Amino acid sequence: MAGSAIAVPLPVAPQAVQRSQWRMAYERFRAHRPAVAAVVVLGALAALSAAAPLVSPYDATKVTLAEIYERPSLAHPFGTDALGRDLATRILYGGRVSLAVGVLAVTVAVTVGTLVGTMAGYYGRWVDSVLMRFVDMMYSFPRLFLLILFGVFFKGMTFGVIILVLGLLSWMTTSRLVRASFLSLKHREFVEAARCVGARDRRIIFRHILPNSLAPIIVAATLGVAGAIIAESTLSFLGLGIQPPTPSWGNMLKDAPTEMNIAPWTAVFPGLFIFLAVVSINFIGDGLRDALDPRHVVSRRG
Amino acid sequence: MRGHRSVRVLAVAAALLVLATACASTQPAGGSPTTGPVKGGTLVFAIWQEPATLAPNYGNQTITGIVNAVAVEGLLRTDTGGNYQPVLAKAVPTEKNGGVKISGDGKRMDVTYELQPDIKWSDGRPFTSADVKFTWEAWMKDPKVVSREGYEQIESIDTPNDLTVLVHYKTIYSPYLTRFGTIMPKHILEKVADISASDYGRKPLGTGPFVITDFKAGDSITVERNPNYRKKGQPYLDKIIFRSVPSREVAVAQLKAGEVQGMWNLIEAQLPDLEKDANIKLSITPAPGVERIEMNTAVNKDGTDPNSVHPVLGDINLRRALIYATPKQQIIDRLLFGKARVGSSPVSQGWAAPKGLTQESYDPKKSNELLDQAGWVKGGDGIRTKNGVRASVTITTTTGDQLRERVEQILADEYKQIGVELKISNMPSSVLLSASWAAGDPRKRGAFDLDMYSSTPAIDPHQTVNLRYHSKQIPYPGNGGNGQNYTRFKNPEADKAIDEAGSALDLEKRAAAYAKALTLLNDAAVCIWLYERSAIEAFRTNVSGYAGQVWDGITWNTEDWYMKGTAPSY
Amino acid sequence: MNRYILRRLLQALPLLLGISVASFAILKAVPGGPLAAYEASPDITDEDIRRLEHAFGLDQPVPIQYLSWLGRFVVGDWGYSFVSHQPVLGLIGERLPNTVYLMGTVFVTVLVLAIPVGVLTAVKQYSWFDHVVTGSTFGFLSTPTFWLGLLLIIFFGLQLRWLPLGGMATPGAAFDLGDRLRHLILPVATISLVQLGSHVRYLRASMLETINQDYMRTARSKGLGERIVVLRHALKNAAIPLVTVVALDIPELFAGALVTEQIFGWPGMGRLFWDAATRLDYPILMGILAVSSTLIVLANLLADVVYGYLDPRIRYA
Repeated sequence: MAGSAIAVPLPVAPQAVQRSQWRMAYERFRAHRPAVAAVVVLGALAALSAAAPLVSPYDATKVTLAEIYERPSLAHPFGTDALGRDLATRILYGGRVSLAVGVLAVTVAVTVGTLVGTMAGYYGRWVDSVLMRFVDMMYSFPRLFLLILFGVFFKGMTFGVIILVLGLLSWMTTSRLVRASFLSLKHREFVEAARCVGARDRRIIFRHILPNSLAPIIVAATLGVAGAIIAESTLSFLGLGIQPPTPSWGNMLKDAPTEMNIAPWTAVFPGLFIFLAVVSINFIGDGLRDALDPRHVVSRRG
Repeated sequence: MRGHRSVRVLAVAAALLVLATACASTQPAGGSPTTGPVKGGTLVFAIWQEPATLAPNYGNQTITGIVNAVAVEGLLRTDTGGNYQPVLAKAVPTEKNGGVKISGDGKRMDVTYELQPDIKWSDGRPFTSADVKFTWEAWMKDPKVVSREGYEQIESIDTPNDLTVLVHYKTIYSPYLTRFGTIMPKHILEKVADISASDYGRKPLGTGPFVITDFKAGDSITVERNPNYRKKGQPYLDKIIFRSVPSREVAVAQLKAGEVQGMWNLIEAQLPDLEKDANIKLSITPAPGVERIEMNTAVNKDGTDPNSVHPVLGDINLRRALIYATPKQQIIDRLLFGKARVGSSPVSQGWAAPKGLTQESYDPKKSNELLDQAGWVKGGDGIRTKNGVRASVTITTTTGDQLRERVEQILADEYKQIGVELKISNMPSSVLLSASWAAGDPRKRGAFDLDMYSSTPAIDPHQTVNLRYHSKQIPYPGNGGNGQNYTRFKNPEADKAIDEAGSALDLEKRAAAYAKALTLLNDAAVCIWLYERSAIEAFRTNVSGYAGQVWDGITWNTEDWYMKGTAPSY
Repeated sequence: MNRYILRRLLQALPLLLGISVASFAILKAVPGGPLAAYEASPDITDEDIRRLEHAFGLDQPVPIQYLSWLGRFVVGDWGYSFVSHQPVLGLIGERLPNTVYLMGTVFVTVLVLAIPVGVLTAVKQYSWFDHVVTGSTFGFLSTPTFWLGLLLIIFFGLQLRWLPLGGMATPGAAFDLGDRLRHLILPVATISLVQLGSHVRYLRASMLETINQDYMRTARSKGLGERIVVLRHALKNAAIPLVTVVALDIPELFAGALVTEQIFGWPGMGRLFWDAATRLDYPILMGILAVSSTLIVLANLLADVVYGYLDPRIRYA
């Protein structure tokens, strides 16, 4: 860009200014109270899950048939499940699995989705055609159906497989959003300007267009984490997710339909934790979106 | 689970049926004894599974039999005592009454059925011997029929007159009474090219108490009184609506709310709640199915060599230790609410059930002793090893089965206590139970350590015992994957006993031979017989006349069902 | 534009063919088979199983099986279920209207609610209305569908007994609109609440984005009223991501309803699909995949065409 003879106002600032933009973003994020609260909640959840063996005196898989379906009490704050295991303990251990599945699956999805969306949106023509046909094809399989078949194919999903499968089956939304924003941005003045001054593709993509598409990617990614956690629980609800006795919030809910009448706490608490985690993630995403949106200040006027 | 109506039962020669009386328990119908049956009313009966087809012998879902039994009848059926009784035939053919004739060389037999006169199909057309012959011919011709068991033993069928059917068997086929449990109408189907794909698949026409008048997929099946039914004044009910509900839980809720008057197939966990409800009566009947764990004694490998030895499960001491470490009674008490019986053999009901046969009961101390003696030494992680082999095995059952998954977790925990690691890896039933070598059934191919599922023998258990425990029935590439001896159990004495039981006609002799084979099987410690469940149905107290039985579904006698009080409010 | 649509339709053919090949390959890669259910019956022998495999063509090489399926499919013979032996076209035909009925109601409900709510939350960003709506959309988004459905059943069905627990209508009763509607409420609420969350969020996010664009400022500076600015300019542009989401949701409406239909015993495609999937009933699965993939191809095309209408900057070469 240096040496450009034409004075074009570039919305994306040079390095130094950008760094201060990140600081401003951080300030704005901190001002977003629900998001900050969500970070605290999610952090607490993650920390408790990670420290589960230190927090709980119980073994998450030890069966105690004499203590089946005990109501919540001091000894078992969330009661016990169908096999007499402490529900609170299982929720802590389950949190490890569920949170990790959510985050890692979305990492896979966003990476693939951004890559595909960028290539399709930026290069257009046959690249776009081929990639979007592929996306169409991926989309035309009902996702749950593919998940079910993969569950069968892998004979029950292990931690790694479920992340990969969830990730590789949920990147399409990101890719379409990225592509859409590329389609609408790549003929904008600032991009045309950058191209005029001889910027290379990679620079245009990563410097000029992608940062401007960040908001939808972040929205998609947050929803994605929520979606991945929910997808895992749905898959487990169908019996194809993380296999027992390893707890995940999803497979703890598998028996909810039959237990609702006898022991509602077994159905309520794991669901509540999914809810809590996902709500927090969504609030964080919302805070991030507001923080990263460079036109944020203007938007407050609206 | 009980099998398909036409497929459900392999019976024995009639002379032996008396013996069967002892083993079936009868649940008398509810209702006040002082008043007789009441006519009229619509009964809504909740089913949580939908029959894919109602055509007899074109599927084997239990629910198919439950629904089509109200419309489709056969020549004979079992009663609550496990005895055969005539339905469309006048009498049960036996050697004694001349209905069965053995050929001079003792190698073939003829069975004669005299049919009841004046029986009409529900459309008013007469039922004749030609219909029986047509049914046999159709099933032998149509490749989509699910079972030709027994029917392919028939040489030919003669119909000397409208009311006489003479069946010529090529062999001595002792379970002949189980055949022709359903008859199809010739006048409707003789011109139909593809029977099960036709209307008949949804609305089979029969001679039974009801006529199937409406089949709303995924919603309900409505049956109405058959005006041409042979019993005068019956059925009592005007209508039965089989209502498809999404789950047992919804069915129970609707039953309690009075939205339905009966429901099919409950699980034990639902009983404590229902027993408290004064408006609900339960029908609990022992079911012949036995839940088991099979241990693969050959190497866990796709296309296994039946002579190879499993590094862990090849050791009988370890297998026996696992049986000792299995808390069957606790599982029954806690997970099945005490409503099941501890298993001890694959044949739990009927004349062939071995009396007094038991299996090692829960005693983890013995497990530890056995393993210590056998040289399995506990390592740092609490898991035993022997000659560098870790005592770690994987259990597989059908995905999504709540009870089985809980049992697995209990076992994983129990086995850990004795130093054996049990990993869990489940598969959908379409994979685990595909029963096809080509489709890759892991049991057939020997690619499993432990599997858990249930299997139901028939009244005549020969097929089950032979297919699963005779050494000739070990599936491997060399025999095209035939047979269902999944544990790879080999014992020449047991083979001999099974062969004897299969060729004898005397029931007591046969029962003794089966008992011998099954005792040897238990001695080899290759199967863990977990529990025997019951068939449980529930009705509102204003419904009467039903009677649960071991060898047939609850709807076997709907002509006797009636309902008191107000018509259902829907 | 017409030529563009025509070209896309022509492109769709090889795409659909590719999808069918891939589907068939995946189905066949899954071990097991449709005859598994028969194993439980002592009456069904190994010979019976082999005869059935032959009768259904399951013993033929996979490419042959595919070609014979395709050959019959294109002339309108979708085959017969291996389990019920009923024609696949008929089975889908009797379930499709039920799903369209359920999902159509959901679709309309969601759009009717999402657009005004999304616009309002953006326009009135950080108002109490925005906070309440954003908070509750987060809430519903954060609830697994099956979980929400179960809670609704428990609360409105079991506890309050206001609404039926499942099914599409009271069996055996004559047609009654009120009865139909009562059966519709819980499943529609279950799916709508979750979907509403995502649609409102997308719309709000992109509304906020567009409201602050240059041309909006231009529009405002031209002295146009805020209402016109919002509705005519902002909404039109903000609708672009929503169009993507809505269009791409259509196939999900069919297969994704699986869990809801399962919980509520709704006799739709989702349940047919699940039953077929658990039994590996290939002809039904292929039939449903064909319907849903055709649908998505059309939905994609629709999305792109609507893009062009909404955002003239997108050019179709």
